[in-house]
Amino acid sequence: MSPPSRTVLRVPQQISRERRPTPSRPAHRRDAGRDPGPEALPETLDAALTDEAVLATYRRMFAALARDSGAVVDDPALVDIAETLFDAFAEAGEEWLTHEQMRHACRAHPTDRFENRLRVLKGLGAIREVFPKPNQLRYRASFTSVVGLMFIRRMMDDGGQSEMHRLLALEDLNAADPRTTMEEARQSAGNLARAFRLWALELITLTNGTIEELREQAPKLWGTEEIARRAQNLHATILRRWPDLDRTCTELRAAIYAYSDASRRAAGRLADSAGTTRNLTLLPAEAWRTFAQTASKERLAAVLDGFVFDAPAPWHDPAAIATAVDEAPRPAPVRPAPPRSPLPDTGPVESADGGVAGLDRLTAVAESTLGGRASVQLDEVLTGDWAAMRRVLADLTSADLRPELPYRLRWADAVTADPGGRPSWRSDGTLERVPADG
Amino acid sequence: MAETPTTDTATDTVTSTDAAETPALAAASAHARARAYGPLTLRLTEPAPPGFIRLTLGDAVTTAPTTPPTATGDAVRATSGPPTSPVIALPAWPDGATPSILDEYGAAPVPVERSGETRRVLAACLRACWSDLSAEPWPGVPASVADVLACYRALIGRGDDMTRSRAVGALRRLADTGWIIRSGDVVRLGPRCATWPPESHSVLRELVRRLPGPQAAEGPVTLPLDASTPPDRPAPLEAPEAPAASSEEAHPGHGGPAAAPVGARPGGAGRDETVSDLDGLLSPYDERRRAELVAAFMAVDHAAEPVHEARFAALRDPALRRTLAEMLARRGRTLIQRRDTWTSGYDDDVAARMASAPGADTGRRPGLSEGERAVLTLVLVHSVAIPRADGLLSEDTWLSPYPVAVEELRRRTLLPIGELESALRTLRQAGLLTQVKAVSEETPGGYVPGPQFHRLTAAARRRLQEELILAAGPQTPLATAIRARRA
Repeated sequence: MSPPSRTVLRVPQQISRERRPTPSRPAHRRDAGRDPGPEALPETLDAALTDEAVLATYRRMFAALARDSGAVVDDPALVDIAETLFDAFAEAGEEWLTHEQMRHACRAHPTDRFENRLRVLKGLGAIREVFPKPNQLRYRASFTSVVGLMFIRRMMDDGGQSEMHRLLALEDLNAADPRTTMEEARQSAGNLARAFRLWALELITLTNGTIEELREQAPKLWGTEEIARRAQNLHATILRRWPDLDRTCTELRAAIYAYSDASRRAAGRLADSAGTTRNLTLLPAEAWRTFAQTASKERLAAVLDGFVFDAPAPWHDPAAIATAVDEAPRPAPVRPAPPRSPLPDTGPVESADGGVAGLDRLTAVAESTLGGRASVQLDEVLTGDWAAMRRVLADLTSADLRPELPYRLRWADAVTADPGGRPSWRSDGTLERVPADG
Repeated sequence: MAETPTTDTATDTVTSTDAAETPALAAASAHARARAYGPLTLRLTEPAPPGFIRLTLGDAVTTAPTTPPTATGDAVRATSGPPTSPVIALPAWPDGATPSILDEYGAAPVPVERSGETRRVLAACLRACWSDLSAEPWPGVPASVADVLACYRALIGRGDDMTRSRAVGALRRLADTGWIIRSGDVVRLGPRCATWPPESHSVLRELVRRLPGPQAAEGPVTLPLDASTPPDRPAPLEAPEAPAASSEEAHPGHGGPAAAPVGARPGGAGRDETVSDLDGLLSPYDERRRAELVAAFMAVDHAAEPVHEARFAALRDPALRRTLAEMLARRGRTLIQRRDTWTSGYDDDVAARMASAPGADTGRRPGLSEGERAVLTLVLVHSVAIPRADGLLSEDTWLSPYPVAVEELRRRTLLPIGELESALRTLRQAGLLTQVKAVSEETPGGYVPGPQFHRLTAAARRRLQEELILAAGPQTPLATAIRARRA
């Protein structure tokens, strides 16, 4: 079994991130101690302070188990390495991990730091060989160490409040257990009294200290009414069962009262001095989420009971109404049908069968124009008034465009202009008969 | 003020509070109530406090079956007095300046939801209800909803189901905000129509004259000339301005036989303004200063967001600002500054009085419903309290750039979904919530507290946060400390 004392040094990376004001900062950049490059330094004083606060918590948590004062990590990044390793082990399953795989999982961290860390973890038994024989290549992680991490997670989150809840619940069960002896009860009451006293003392110190420290620490330390109630229940149970313990119980009672009082005073000072901007931060985000998810409609609505808001009163200005009407999306106006003759319309069917007759007519026109010749200049035949001319021209053009008719119009590039004549200009053109087989 | 002895009984909520309250305070409370809950309902013999337009609805409302004045939704309180109260009062505009004045100063007014559609439906209501164009639009005559919808159809040129349901939605919004009164199938012009200044009536008259009537909707929309003169009405006057103006002055309370609930002009309807509450403060100033004061007054009270003092002389100049604060105080309001911008909010005392007299005699709270308040609280928790607990928001404000997704409200709360949707709609319309469109995967859309939260005083902001802490962590020492301080 690995000594649980040292395994708990591996604090989850998430927690150290949570406490940082700049969460996007990569873990491996936080190396301040060994790599003094400008990039490696904490970017702001806030960040440095937060790192220090995390380390302070680590140190306090394991003070009881440490061999010397330098036993706790001096850089939160070292904890990140352990956390990364445990993640990798969890994923690997029964395949375990080789040294190379472990190195790969921690590739974000410098080699020497990784090796250093691995040596410590192996030395403490948090990471062990799968089989204890020489030149062992595969490693596994210790279950105890992982449980230790979970414990630390809770401690970091609420400063031990939930531990106190559990402890009180357990003690309550113990006190009710018929096998419990008076001596055990005395011991547990004494322990609780001591814990409450120490808690109260710390709160009192905080209350008299700086407001920043109070804001940071107090919400983790102060007890809810629930804790006080449980503790008093326990006290009552012990006193009822072992009236002889009244002296111990008096001490416990005094400690509980002192603790409740210190909690109230710390909260009061915070509420008074934190001003309007920071008070909401005094309840953790989780408390807000729980409230939003579990509160009934009545409870939610009661928050705004005493508040007065404006009724919706939009203003519709006459000019705006007129504009809205003018800008109304209008559908495309219905297009009226073109006027139709009232007589029955026989449609285009009959006109289409005039094809052959039309060809005959065009042939007649062309032949009469040619007058027996094979070709004729157009300026010879286009005489008379414009109406007659254009009729002939149209017919000849039609004949030209009919591939089945043997007449073609050939146009020259020249244009003859005659300002006085009719038409006043014309292109030189020739109508000719082409051989039918051409 | 003139109504000194009687203002105490002006409204039932006031009488339940301090009997020795001053008339000024009573008037301020009445103005604040009109702003918070919509037009005031008075009994027939009750005078209105100074600065109000008092409207006598006449008998149309009382003769029509099942037409309590509460048809305007939350806007009008159900009273325990006479079965229906035919008198409504709402604040008069100072010097006739309407919120339209904001345009001149480049300040955005409170946005109107689906403004084009809503205003076209209001135009259709005018077309159907304003029968006598020589008189003022209000009170007009009752018209059937079918007629209004037909007018709207003729105006739009479309009669599909979608158009119809949108028009019905617009009617609901207009009724909720007091622009129309709808009772069953009958629509009347609402009290807010009486607040159009007389100068602007000509615009409306022109508009109504060229709108097609309900009959036009039956056939194809062709020539508006035909449609604008339905057979049952005389042809419009060619030069109506002068006679119209004179007739308005002559008999503002035009009465007529009220035979049928639809189409008949209500008898005894009348409009009169009480003595101006702000004139006394404005009269010492010359024309220009007076206009500046009125503009600033309208801007802080009616602009959607706080306005910058650079644009308003009455906000920059401390002396004028003092007078402005006085003006606001007479209406139960107070100035709220945030850096160089200003807006107005409910005076803390007035708000406390309103909250402590929540219409207990009626058994129904005015203002937001329980579901709406619950939804608003949820948005405040998600969008302000949680980001602040995470250290993301540090300013003393209840506005936030962190929207809460509708899914979060729908899935992970105890609120019924149907109620959630309608509450979101109402809150959005009132400017208590703002909808944020999704920009990308990382910035999803949702709701944040709306611009009304600019209007919370410092004391109200602090109280809101204390109330939230008391609700979310009632067992914490913090809550104990808050309770101890309040005791």
